[in-house]
Order: sequence, then structure tokens, then C-alpha cells
Amino acid sequence: MAKAKGYSDPKLEAKLQDRYYYREYSHPDFTKKVHDLARTVNHMCYQCGTCTGSCVSAPRSSYRIRLFMRRQVLGLEDEALTDPDLWLCTTCYSCTDRCPRDIAPTDVIMAMRNFAYQRGIVPVNFLKTVQLIYQSGHGVPNNDVNRAVRTKIGLPKDPPTTHAYPEFLPGIRQILDHWKVKEQADKIVAEAEKHG
Amino acid sequence: MAEAKGKAKAKETKEARETKETKAPAASPAAPQKARIGVFVCHCGTNIAGSIDVKGVVEYAKTLPDVAYAEDYQYVCSTPGQKIIEKAIKEKKLTGTVVAACSPRLHEPTFRRATAEGGLNPFRFEMANIREQNAWVHMHDKESATDKAKDAVRIAVAKAALLQDLTPKSVTVEKTALVVGAGIAGMQAALDLANAGIKTYLVEKLPTIGGRMSQLDKTFPTLDCSQCILTPKMVDVGRAPNINLMTYTEVDAVEGFIGNFDVTLRKKARGVLSTDEAEAKGIVGGGCNGCGDCEPVCPVIKPNPFEMGMKPRKAIYIYHPQVVPLLYTVDFDTCIKCGLCVTACGEKKAIDLEMKDELVKLKVGTVVLALGYDIFPVEKKREWGYQQFENVVTSLEFERLICASGPTGGHLIRPSDGQTPKRVAFVLCAGSRDNTGIGKPYCSRFCCMYSLKHAHQIIEKIPGVIPYIMYMDIRSFGKMYEEFYYRIQDEGAKFIRGRVANILEDKATKNLHVYAEDTMLNRPIDLEVDMVVLAAAVQPASDTDRTRKLFGVSCSQDGWLLEAHPKLNPCGTTTAGVFVAGVCQGPKDIPDTVAQAEGAASAASIPIHIGKVELEPYFAQCIEEKCAGCGMCVNLCPYSALSLVEKEGGKKVMQVTEAKCKGCGTCGGFCPGGAIWMQHFATPQVVAQIDAFLTGGAK
Amino acid sequence: MAEAKGHDYALFLGCIAPNRYPGCEASAIKCSRKLGINLHDMKGASCCPAPGAFGSIDLNVWYAMAARNVVIAEKMGMDIALECNGCYKSIYEVNEKLKHHDELRDMVNEVLKTVPDPTDPTKKGTMEFKGTIDVFHLVELYADPKICGPDKIRENVVRPLTGTRIGVHYGCHLIKPKKERHLGDTENPMWIEELVAALGAEPVQYRKKMQCCGAGGGVRGYDLVHALDITNEKLINLHEAKVDAVTESCPFCQLQFDRGQIEIKEKFGKMWGLPVLHFNELLGLAFGMSPAELALDMHAIPVDPFLKKIL
Repeated sequence: MAKAKGYSDPKLEAKLQDRYYYREYSHPDFTKKVHDLARTVNHMCYQCGTCTGSCVSAPRSSYRIRLFMRRQVLGLEDEALTDPDLWLCTTCYSCTDRCPRDIAPTDVIMAMRNFAYQRGIVPVNFLKTVQLIYQSGHGVPNNDVNRAVRTKIGLPKDPPTTHAYPEFLPGIRQILDHWKVKEQADKIVAEAEKHG
Repeated sequence: MAEAKGKAKAKETKEARETKETKAPAASPAAPQKARIGVFVCHCGTNIAGSIDVKGVVEYAKTLPDVAYAEDYQYVCSTPGQKIIEKAIKEKKLTGTVVAACSPRLHEPTFRRATAEGGLNPFRFEMANIREQNAWVHMHDKESATDKAKDAVRIAVAKAALLQDLTPKSVTVEKTALVVGAGIAGMQAALDLANAGIKTYLVEKLPTIGGRMSQLDKTFPTLDCSQCILTPKMVDVGRAPNINLMTYTEVDAVEGFIGNFDVTLRKKARGVLSTDEAEAKGIVGGGCNGCGDCEPVCPVIKPNPFEMGMKPRKAIYIYHPQVVPLLYTVDFDTCIKCGLCVTACGEKKAIDLEMKDELVKLKVGTVVLALGYDIFPVEKKREWGYQQFENVVTSLEFERLICASGPTGGHLIRPSDGQTPKRVAFVLCAGSRDNTGIGKPYCSRFCCMYSLKHAHQIIEKIPGVIPYIMYMDIRSFGKMYEEFYYRIQDEGAKFIRGRVANILEDKATKNLHVYAEDTMLNRPIDLEVDMVVLAAAVQPASDTDRTRKLFGVSCSQDGWLLEAHPKLNPCGTTTAGVFVAGVCQGPKDIPDTVAQAEGAASAASIPIHIGKVELEPYFAQCIEEKCAGCGMCVNLCPYSALSLVEKEGGKKVMQVTEAKCKGCGTCGGFCPGGAIWMQHFATPQVVAQIDAFLTGGAK
Repeated sequence: MAEAKGHDYALFLGCIAPNRYPGCEASAIKCSRKLGINLHDMKGASCCPAPGAFGSIDLNVWYAMAARNVVIAEKMGMDIALECNGCYKSIYEVNEKLKHHDELRDMVNEVLKTVPDPTDPTKKGTMEFKGTIDVFHLVELYADPKICGPDKIRENVVRPLTGTRIGVHYGCHLIKPKKERHLGDTENPMWIEELVAALGAEPVQYRKKMQCCGAGGGVRGYDLVHALDITNEKLINLHEAKVDAVTESCPFCQLQFDRGQIEIKEKFGKMWGLPVLHFNELLGLAFGMSPAELALDMHAIPVDPFLKKIL
């Protein structure tokens, strides 16, 4: 296990920190947790790199799906969940389509995002979508400009969704409240706005 | 008395059988004397003793009826273990033995021999499997496992008390071997058999022998010219007096059993007579001499499969100039029977366009299957663009392109424009190690090595070329193979550790963009190359399934032919007398292929040299007094081993051809009169086992 | 692939089509009817929910919300037709998953049975996923000769889009991963090109046509310029192929290409000005609907250069 070096200069402490991998860094049930939520044989990855080779985000960022796969195989939960690149996957499923071990790396990313969210790590835009859906039933709700256009082209001003039938909203809120996503979303959004 | 009976039984004549009271009478169990069974329970180290209370089982055995002796030992299969059995038989005057240990598949022969050494007929032995079917699967429940072991011993003792003396039947072995497939594996096996003095039929479905090795340019790691090292063997095969070479021939039907296979071969209509065939027809000085005069006049052009479709051939053709035998072949599927070739052939009169397939029947003693392989249809992996993009080729196509005798005279050119490529990507594991259900889950074994070879070949021929080897692993496992890898890296090949994700084509230049990740650099790559060679997976040749079923050979989960035991019997199959050699049993390189071929030939020669083979005496026997001669069993027998015969006095009874009978029990289970006695699995014996299990019980 | 039961479907609208590009909705209803496909309102449908957003936060919520939408159609006794790849992922995939995995279905039904009846909020237990319907994308129905097929489309074209070159953007969730979809090859499919050709236009191949638009997985919201860089690469390749428009079957991709070009001008300084049209908008034009009826002026990038060629 890495020990702090106790250097007086914090800059040097950071620069020269022990970068070894030690067994203690592996959370023993992280791999299984991911397996159960992602519903894929995540532990079978043999690091061929087909996934990153297919990835649309890799050529324009430091995001490497293969590296995330390696982390979850080794149980490196903290490294995986705190890496901001976790949120650069567009879920295009090209990696899943081509993985020779029949794994779904995209679903592994989604599972890891779920675990990150459980730790309160999640970009605010996701939560804004939750709030919008809680409020109106739509992630991209109708607006007056659009209502006018709809009327002009002969459609009812609101589509026959929760917009035209708001009595369905309690049902949606019931579902969202079961998992407390609105509560969490409000909390995290408020925190984020406080810190600017 | 048992010994006298045993010796009498060794006389195999039908009359001998009829006059002696050797068959068990109908209802009552056989053994006239009181049974005295010895039970030997094995610890097998901790394999059995770890899950079963062995001593408890021994104590229990002593309480069973008919048990005269019981003992436990660490390893009953060891020499001292066997001696314990022998000693007990003699000292305790046992009439039968039971060993409670591992699976009979391992040591049944051992304990039968020990029983025989002790003075009993070897078939007075019964085995109880308390390891594979007990100790190894109930490791966490010692109490139940021990109870189950006691049950198994009780059941075995009940049967052992009723076992009879039996004698294996000997059949003579035909002193002829058959080798199916004349690639390097089949050729080597045939040569070894022939050199051992055995008349060998070597059958090949293509018009020439040589197989895949003929198609290769060079062989790793020595970089020998493949055809150069192969042709001496091809010539040897062609000339060997003991080899009857039948090309353009396939196996049509197989009957019989080890030592006595009745094989029907289909000599496909070649349309061309050999000099011998011509002479037999009275055409003096006639027959094909390979002059090739027919070929230029033939109007039909088709792709040449030997050249992977990259060079044409005519409807009358040879695959390449070094074929053995040097005979042209007419492809009757495309021949338009214009007759121009017949005219060109002239006086030799070697072409017979009306020739038909001929069926030839053979009797052989043993068979070696050397059926070879095909390339996996890698166009199924759409991401690599094979058959979509012109400049993506497979490894076998590359071999023909780089080979001096190939379609381009050994110049590697891009199919799209004939230009010499300067940047070539080799995609390894193309269709192998693939669990998606589209490719093959196994490793195709020799593609790493031939890709290294390919890199070398283009470096040698194209100055300034850069081969990029895109790999997951480099499996350079054999003798001098790692050194070869070192050499190729030294020669300048670039190794990128990353499986190719997909390939796209630049419409204008027809260059390929190879997308992968350099996992070592941690960067995605877009590698633009002139040409891509896919090291495609290999799979069993297309007609392997049909052929193996004719011989009753299984295939394993991965589709290749199933060996008898992966470690200890890699050349045999579970079908007695049939052996396998070469890639048809699993992907392997040329050294391993030749080694296996020699192994298969050696194994195939043993029954032939011994001259006879012993069949286990599990045959059905007709109890003639009870047989009504209805004949219903005859049609049920899957091995056609039964027939109805008329005895003196006109009575019809069933008769078993023991050599064909496998003791499956279909007839015995069916006979409505109970007139069929299944030796070693007789009804009273089985009933006694059931009774012992259900009504005996742990005391 | 499930056989569609007759030609009546419950129309699942999603969010972006009805609330930002309502022409897609108008065309879907009108043109489908011409082709014998009758689309019926799904009362009380909601966001599918957005698979990138919800799947990233809590997969269980995603299953339950999608299932609720499916149940609305189950109660109507009709299969679902929709016109968005993103909605397709949520509705089609969750429908399949819940049909085949008892533990997921049971988990979802535990929550669905607490959902109050919209007509009588005191009543609960009116919602239960039964797995009785199938889900289709409209573009898949158009391509299926048993329902419609390119020939039938061709017969109904009154304003052929002759002289236009159109690049097809398949998007991602409609066809990938191929193991969990049934719409064929994912490396170089051609079936939407066939439909485009049936409209009289010339479908044009371009580099990396199967590349994602970049919007999905929440990336458009999380790191807009990253998403735009992906879109920009597609626009470069489309431009190289000299297309007059790009077409897709996903309003989210549409938003990314359309609004995205404005954002690309802002962030990267380049204005491509390439018209972006949902397949249903192309279908509408070819079937004689006017640009006004299709609300094409709602598009961020003017569609005029394309319209000039066909009107």
C-alpha cells in the first residue's frame, strides 16, 4: 500500500507520489457489481483494444474505453468512477458491436456511471434532464414558439403526451420518486450552483 | 472348472459353440458354485479418501452377502495394489472381484489383468466408480458420499456374484490400410505405412496430391521453399510400390469394423485416361502424358481454386505444373463437350468425355483420416471489408501472390491497380479467438508464424516496404520460432499491439484505413496502407463432416475431429481402427502435422502387424431353446449383426455375427420371448443390481 | 424479427420531434397513412426516457419509465411505431429485455403497480408490463416489403427529389449492437439509401458514414465542443461527397446536425450550411407536402438550397 512520503514541500509530495499499483487498490467486488448491473461478461476482457479502435471519442480526447475495462477487471473502482473521461462516451455502441469477447463495454460504462452517481459524482446536465422530466414528462419540453408552429401546421398545440394529458404526470413522478432521483438531482444541482 | 470352460470357449467354431453348454440357461443365474467376492476399495490418495470414509465402506462390504474378503488400499492400480488382488483371489479362493475406485475408462484393463493373474477369468471383475461419479462431485458432503459409495459397492457385488467366464473374440485384420486425404499429413502417413510393408490406399478428392503445402511459397521458420521440400515426398508417393494412389476419388460408403472395413470409393470421372487405363482399353502408347495440348483449345475459362481464384484454368486442366499424378482432369460441371480437346489430344486418345464415376470396393484393416482444412469465410466479419474492398486479401491469397509460381510470378501487387504496395498491414486473429458466434472461438495456431513469414517475404522482395503486424499476441511457440520473431522484428517489421477494429476504403486511391488502438501507446490509430492481408481463421474442410460420419468419428465442440484422448491418445479416435492426422484434428503447423501423421501411421500399423484384434465379448447371444425365429430383432440391430438361420429340423433361430455386435442391448431389450442373452450385461445380472440397490440398504 | 400485426400502430412521439421539429410528426402521420400505416395517439406517453441521460444515472429508472410507455400501447392492444433512434433504444430494447428476463420484469412491475390511474388517482395497480406488443421504427416499416417497401413508396411519390444528392446518417441505436437488433449489417448497410432512392434522390456514400453524430450518452450536454467536433468530422466528410442534404432517422441526431452547425460556427468559426432533413421530412416533400406544412422554417440551418432543387 502506498505510503505518504512526508515531504515538507506539498508540490514535491504530489510530484513524487508512489505510483505503484498495490493489491489493496482493488475493490474485491467492483468487478462483480459491474457484472450484475451491466449484464455482460465484463471480467472476460483480454485488452485487445478493438473497443478503443472503434471509439468515436478516443481520437479527440484522453478517453480510452479499453483502459476503463482494465480498471473494472482489476477492481480499481475509485480511479474509474472519479475519472471525468467516464462521461465522454456517446453510447454509439461501436465497441460493443465489435468486441470479440462478446462483452458490451458501453453497458460497462453505463453501470460505472450509475455507481458514480450513487457517490454523488454526475455532471449537472444529466440532472437537469431529470428535473425537466419530473416537471413535464419530457426531457425536451414544448414551448410557445413550437405550439404556434404546431397549430399552424394543423397539429394540436400540445402532443397527446403528458403535455396534453398532465393527469399522467403523477404516475411518472411516482416512478421517479421510488428511486429518489428528483431528490438527488435537486440536491446535486443546488450544490453545484452554490459552488458556481 | 471355470478354466476348462474358458479354454473351451477359446475355440471359435460355430459347431464348437453349438455342442457345448456355454450359454447360460434361460432363467437362472450362471455361476453354479457359491459366489465368493473380494472387494477392494481405493483411497486414490485423497481423491477418494478426501470425500469418502473408505474404511467405513470396507467394513460395510464385509457385511454384504457373497463377500468373502474386503480390503482398502492407497492406490489399488499400483503394482502392490494389483498384487493384493492377485493374492486375495488365490488365498481366499475368490470367484469374482470388485474394485471401488476411479472410472473403468482408466483402469478396467488393469484390474481385469490383475484378476486374470490371480487365476480367474478377467471378466469376473466388476468396477464401482466412486471417484468421478462420487468423490469428485460430492466433495462437500462426506456422509452422503460415503452412503452412495456403499450403494455402489453393494450393486457391484450383486453383479460380480453372477458374472461368467467370457473370452474376447479375435478377428483377423486385413493387411491393408486406407489413408483419406493426400496433403502432407496423408502423404506422410501413407509413406510410413508403405515403408512398413503395408499395402496402402491413398485417396485424395482433388486431382492432385500435395494439399495446402503445395500452395505455400515458403515455410517458417526455415524459409524453405514449400514446393521444393514437398515434391520429393510427392514423387515418393507416386512411385511407392505399396501405395495405391487414387486421386480425384472420394469415400462413398463404409461398413464393417476394425480389421475389416468394407470401404466403397467413388473414383470421380476424370474424363482423362492414365497410360495404364489406356493400355487396359487397348489403346497402345496412349493415355495422358501431361503434354497439355488439350488446354489451349478448350473454350471454357473458370477460376483456378489452387490459385484461390486469381488465375484462370480451363474446363480441362491441371492445377499447376508439378501435379502428381501428371494427368489432366475434365471438370464435367463446366465442360461443354465441344470435343476440341479430344482432337488436340490426337493419337494418344487420352480423353473420354463419356467417362462416368466408378465405384470401387476395398477391404482394409485400418484407416487414417487426414482431411485438412479450409479458410474461414472471413467476409462474414464485415468490419474488415473482405470482398468489399479490392485490396483486402486473405493469407492464402497472399501466399499465391508472393509465390513465384503463382498468378503474378511472385510479385506482390495490389489487386485494384497492379501497383506494388509499400505499406502492408497484416491483421492477425481475423476470425479466430472470437466469441461473438460469427468467428471461431479457438486460436488457429499457425497464423502468427506465417504472418511473421509474410512480413519477411515482402521485406525481402520490396525495398522500402513496411509491414505492419497488428496483433493481440505473437504466438511463436515452436522450435526456433521465437528466434524467428526476433529476426523479423530485426528486419524492420512494425508490430502494433491492437486488434483491428475496422477497415475503410478510400474510394479514390483504394487505399485502406486500418482502425485500431496501439494499446501499448494508448492511442487510437488510423493507419493508411496500400494493402491488407487478413490472417483468417481456419476451419475443417467442407466435406469433413460427411466423411467423418461415414467412419463413425465424432467431432469436438470446436468442429475438429475428436481424438481419443487429447493428451494420451492424440492420433486415435474412439472408433477402433480409425486414426487422425494433421489439421483435421486441430490447427497445427507442418512439423506437428508430420509428427502426428507418423504417429497415426504407427498406431494404424499395429493391428495390421499383429494380424488380429480382440473384440470385447459384450455380444448378444441367442438362447435357441427360447427363440421363436420371429426375426423382429434382425431389423432393429443398428450394426446389422443379426440374421436368421435355419437349424437342422427346420427351426429358424437368430444368429449373431459377433464381430459386428457392439453389445448395445437393443435386441436384448426388445426380444419379447427373452431369448437374447447380453453377455456381461445379462438380464439376471442387471436385475440383481437393481434389487441390490433398492432392497439392500445401508446396514 | 416480429411480424407486425396489421398496419395499425400506436405512435410514440418522444420529445424532440413533437416539441422542436413538429413537421416530422405531421409527415409521419400523413405519409404513413398514404402507405397504409395508420398511426394512433398514445395518450400520456412521456420522454422515452432519454437513454443517455437516464441510463447513465439509474438503469432501473430507465427500465421502469420505458416500460410505462410500453404499457400504454399494450393497453391499446397495438404495436408501437416511432421515429427516433434514441426512443427506439429505450422502447424497443426495454421491451425486449423485460420480455426475456423475469427478474427485470418483476422489478419493474413492482414499481409500476404503484403508479396511480390517471383517471382516478386513488386507484393504483392499473399498470403492468405484460410483454404483449412489439416495437418498430417507422423507417423500418417503410423498408419492410411486407408492410410497405421501397416500391410502394416510389408509387406514391408525387414530387420526386430528382437531382438532389443526399448523404444518409444511420445513427447508432437503430442498428447497434447487431446482436440486440435485427436490422442487418452495421458496417455498411444500404437499406435507407434504397428508401432515399425510392424518393427520386441520389443517395451518396461518404467517408465514415457509420460514425456517431456525437450527441448521445449525455455528451452534448456534458461537453458540447467534444460532441461538436464529432459532428464536424461528419460534416467535413459529407461536404467532401458534395451532398445537398444529410438525412437521418433520429431527431436527436437532427438537432445535433442542425443546431450543431450554428454552434460549430460559434465555437469553431466554420459555417457549413448543410440542410438537415429527417427521413420523414424528405418523405413529406416527396409525397407533396409543402415546406410550410412540414414546418421546415423551424430548422436552424435553412433548408432553402435543397428546396430550390426540388420545388
